[in-house]
Amino acid sequence: MLNDWLLIGLLSISTYITRIIGVQMMAGRKVSSTLRLYFNYVPVGIISALIVKQVFIPTDKVLEISYPVLIGCLITAIIIAKIQMFLPAVALGIISGWLVRYVISNGF
Amino acid sequence: MATQKKIIKSGFVESFPLAIAIAIKGLSFGVLATQAKFSLVEILAMSIFIFSGSVQMVTVAMVAGGASLTSVLLTATLLNLRNILYGASLAEGLSPAKKWRWLLSMGVSDEPFVLGSARFNKYGPDPLYFGVVAGCFYLAWIMSSLTGSLIGTGIAKPEEWGLDLAFPITFVALLIPGIKEKPVVATAIIAAIMVIGLEYLIPDNQFSIIIAGFLAPFVGIYYLKRGVKSAE
Repeated sequence: MLNDWLLIGLLSISTYITRIIGVQMMAGRKVSSTLRLYFNYVPVGIISALIVKQVFIPTDKVLEISYPVLIGCLITAIIIAKIQMFLPAVALGIISGWLVRYVISNGF
Repeated sequence: MATQKKIIKSGFVESFPLAIAIAIKGLSFGVLATQAKFSLVEILAMSIFIFSGSVQMVTVAMVAGGASLTSVLLTATLLNLRNILYGASLAEGLSPAKKWRWLLSMGVSDEPFVLGSARFNKYGPDPLYFGVVAGCFYLAWIMSSLTGSLIGTGIAKPEEWGLDLAFPITFVALLIPGIKEKPVVATAIIAAIMVIGLEYLIPDNQFSIIIAGFLAPFVGIYYLKRGVKSAE
């Protein structure tokens, strides 16, 4: 019980420190154009990495493609590029992923 | 005032799909934590003070498996390393918030980072938007983990709810409109290749995202500078 609370306390502090450290380190600081450019590209790199990590799933030490996630992402990418509307693109992407999952599990 | 209303509305609309996904994950966390013998108050305290799906899920799984306090802390620190990069990248967009940055920093994690950075790139610094988004996720997470701990059993596989689809698909919807220039495309492609390579070499490792996020932007900068030189 005491250990649980100690764990929760330490995890809360360590998680918050990692959150505030980057914000405070860079806040209000004049940065060079190259560093600014770097931080402009960081989100693209991380978001792409997060997406790909969820498409390629390690199963028994082998990478497997999650086709529902892949198809859902592709459909969303096409729709958002064409119509630039956030919610319909997400909704149609999720529905496509669900359909692919249904077909894989149950067949046509 | 009208602009503020517009920002708040955008925050709600754009965080909505992810908030649902987060709520389902929160339900799942509440259930699992209850099964791992955490009390309702402890579960609530974790969600209020830690507010990190990955850290809380891993903690519960490790505690249930009999892991030591040190090993849980080390694993959580590894999981949290990318927050430093997120925070540094979000700093400029949050800078008008001044002292409120200390509070807004509580929202520095995967989903608010994705929405916040997409917004800042498009419209410039916008702490209000980040606050709305992070607040929505925070409430969704706390309420759902509380509900999950009350339910106690039943929800174990997020895939059955399509949860695994909501995150990457929303991320794609946020990423694609910003991918127009060649250096940005190069950054995205290199990050993707790096993650595949790292996951292939060391499956399910905790470093692939932070390594790709740290290194891929250098390729974008290189590409941009090379383009400028050849134009000269």
